[in-house]
Amino acid sequence: MRLPRASVFSLMWPPVVFGVAFLVLWETAVAVFDFQTYFLPPPSAIWDAFRANTALIWEATKVSGLNAFVGLVVGTALGIAMSFLLARFRLLNDLMTPLAIGLNAVPIFVLVAIFNNMYPITSEVPRRLMVTLVVYFIVLVNVARGLSEVGAIQLELMRSYAASEAAILRKVRIPNAVPYLFTALKIAAPASVITAFVSEYFGGSQNGLGSRIVSNIALSNNAEAWAYVLGACLLGLAFYLTALVLERVAVPGGISAVEQVGA
Amino acid sequence: MNAVEVRGVSKVFNAGRPNAVEALVGIDLTIEPGEFVSLIGPSGCGKSTQLRLIANLTEPTSGEVLVNGKPARAARLDQDYGMAFQQAGLFDWRSVTKNVELPLELKGWDRARRRQRALEMLELVKLSEFADHFPWQLSGGMQQRVAIARALAAHPPLLLMDEPFGALDEMTREHMQVELLRICGQTSTTVVFVTHSIPEAVYLSTRVVVMSPRPGRITDVIDVDLGTHRDVETREADAFFKKVTEVREALRGIDTTGIEPDIEQALEEPVEG
Repeated sequence: MRLPRASVFSLMWPPVVFGVAFLVLWETAVAVFDFQTYFLPPPSAIWDAFRANTALIWEATKVSGLNAFVGLVVGTALGIAMSFLLARFRLLNDLMTPLAIGLNAVPIFVLVAIFNNMYPITSEVPRRLMVTLVVYFIVLVNVARGLSEVGAIQLELMRSYAASEAAILRKVRIPNAVPYLFTALKIAAPASVITAFVSEYFGGSQNGLGSRIVSNIALSNNAEAWAYVLGACLLGLAFYLTALVLERVAVPGGISAVEQVGA
Repeated sequence: MNAVEVRGVSKVFNAGRPNAVEALVGIDLTIEPGEFVSLIGPSGCGKSTQLRLIANLTEPTSGEVLVNGKPARAARLDQDYGMAFQQAGLFDWRSVTKNVELPLELKGWDRARRRQRALEMLELVKLSEFADHFPWQLSGGMQQRVAIARALAAHPPLLLMDEPFGALDEMTREHMQVELLRICGQTSTTVVFVTHSIPEAVYLSTRVVVMSPRPGRITDVIDVDLGTHRDVETREADAFFKKVTEVREALRGIDTTGIEPDIEQALEEPVEG
């Protein structure tokens, strides 16, 4: 979707102005109230720490980013596969739905601790498993909805064309589920990053963004800890923007049908 | 050979259960090729059910339905009819042309032939310049024209329409009626048309079938001899008003008290493939 220049500007200025004002307020507050660095470092100090540690932050970002990416890809693939099975077999759906709801009620991060016990201490597998699991449910729930929530009229039409179930799947259900998949990815992409570095809090190698944040806080290097938080923000943003760009490319008109109907 | 033949058909929803409803009883109706037949009646009279029986989207409880001389199921499998509903039911992810091509895809036509036919159909409904648009970029009336182009794409001899103009404003509606008559005239398609607008039924039809609820049945069949050429003048002619009055009086005899609104929707049941 191509927007005229003026409209891009009118979309952009409120968040930019807000962001700048927020940073200025933060910087001023730290100076005026004389906050100690261990309490809240000013944005300028965080930026300096970020500049000074760019290489280290980049290394940590690669570790967490790869964990998030692997989990995102595997979780998405499994979620899509399972949603097709659910759409096909009603019984499976009846079995899976309570399980999915049940798992939502569990603080799912505790599973990392269990996964950690299953694998060697330096393994990245538990973290990737954790991301996979989180992404899997987000994708499963959304894509299953996309496959099943097809207009009654459209199904009647397909029957009037004597279309087989396979043809209905290919020509109606799958295209209908595509916008749902991208809605899921826009949620799952940043969630995968958050899950990847929160998983690092539960032990394992001290190499990712999450573990660096923890260790820097432990050493009272607050500005450095915040610099790693900034790195984590940028990583999450990169994942989200990638999902957004993929959606714009894949969905005709660049607006997901789900958003159009306001769902 | 008759375009549609309905013989002694009845339809009971929830048969054998306490909430059983006789949607249709003792329906006999023969439609010849080239006819334009409207089914009219209050909500719950079974007019949509009757259309769905002809389309084989639901099976009769008793009696038989023949389309093009074949059992309705065989006619559906052969795609002997096209169908249009109150909602255009276009596919948002397909361009206008691709929407029109859909029934042809399912018939296994090759790409070039599909494309050519779709463009012909869009010309017929006067939407050629919107071929590459997407449905949500079109107005309601334009969407409905695409739906008609799609329904007629395979050149079926029969067109089944369930209140196709019900969601349109009055002016668009009258324009669409003119267009529909032109299109059906050019393609010599037989039409079965469900409506609850009396002037619409009279303007379009060669015959108006008046139906009554509880149980759903045909109470009257009125021939509309306004000639094959109908235009703006037709709507202002005395003969037109006389027919409108005749249909209105036929409907007046019908007891409409206590009818549950949208009973037909409430009775929707899953259809076997």
